[in-house]
Amino acid sequence: MMKLKRRSQPPQQETIVSLIDVIFFLLVFFMLVGRMDATAPFEVSPPVSIAGESLPKGGTTIAVAENGALALDGEAIERQALLARITDLLTEKPGLFVRINAHADARLTNLLPLVTALEQAGVGDVVLVVTPNPV
Amino acid sequence: MKLTRRKRNMALITMTPLVDVMMILLVFFMVTSTYLDLDMMPMVQSEAEGTAAPAGPAPTLLIRITANGEARLRGQPLTVQTLVSALQTAPNARVLILPSGGSNVQGLVSAIETATQAGAENLRVVRLEAQ
Repeated sequence: MMKLKRRSQPPQQETIVSLIDVIFFLLVFFMLVGRMDATAPFEVSPPVSIAGESLPKGGTTIAVAENGALALDGEAIERQALLARITDLLTEKPGLFVRINAHADARLTNLLPLVTALEQAGVGDVVLVVTPNPV
Repeated sequence: MKLTRRKRNMALITMTPLVDVMMILLVFFMVTSTYLDLDMMPMVQSEAEGTAAPAGPAPTLLIRITANGEARLRGQPLTVQTLVSALQTAPNARVLILPSGGSNVQGLVSAIETATQAGAENLRVVRLEAQ
């Protein structure tokens, strides 16, 4: 009887090149799909509307909570301090783009006077954030 | 005397630190990004983009938003059809939205959405003063 001897294979080095490829692919995917926004210190679910236009990136975000609390780029702030900061930002960058991320159930008395104040402060581009899909 | 430099073995480039760094970047982007599908509605537009006010008096359609968020046109609930027929009788009409202070943001956004779908071009919101 013939004895078949399996040839001993040299220990193969594990290749991690394919792993790098996959991780790199995921990295690029999340960088493209994600939007890096400073999250407000309170919960904000924007109003639902299918008539919205696409939201450009960049700019300054003002969040308005359901109870009227305000936040500028993720930091809670009072109304007077907010307007002062916006005035400062306007001197640095005259064409400032301001997004207002207001809670769907926030009262309009907390939103519309703020828009008026921003317009009087000289902001020429204010948009209200909406979402086409309910959160 | 001739000194010969000893030949070095070529160092193998290790990929492990690269994977580590990419993994950290991947986790960072996954955690810090938000994935909400967001759109916008313009509230204030600069003069260049905004529509110029027509010369002379234009007919005005007034949409009221009640305190519970319902939009009404001439006492009737606002729908796309009612606004379209109202705009047909008064073309180039200015559409004014008069919100009640007690209504919420969703009510205003829904009214603007209906007006946009009905084809209103000259749309303005009557601003409330701070109380």
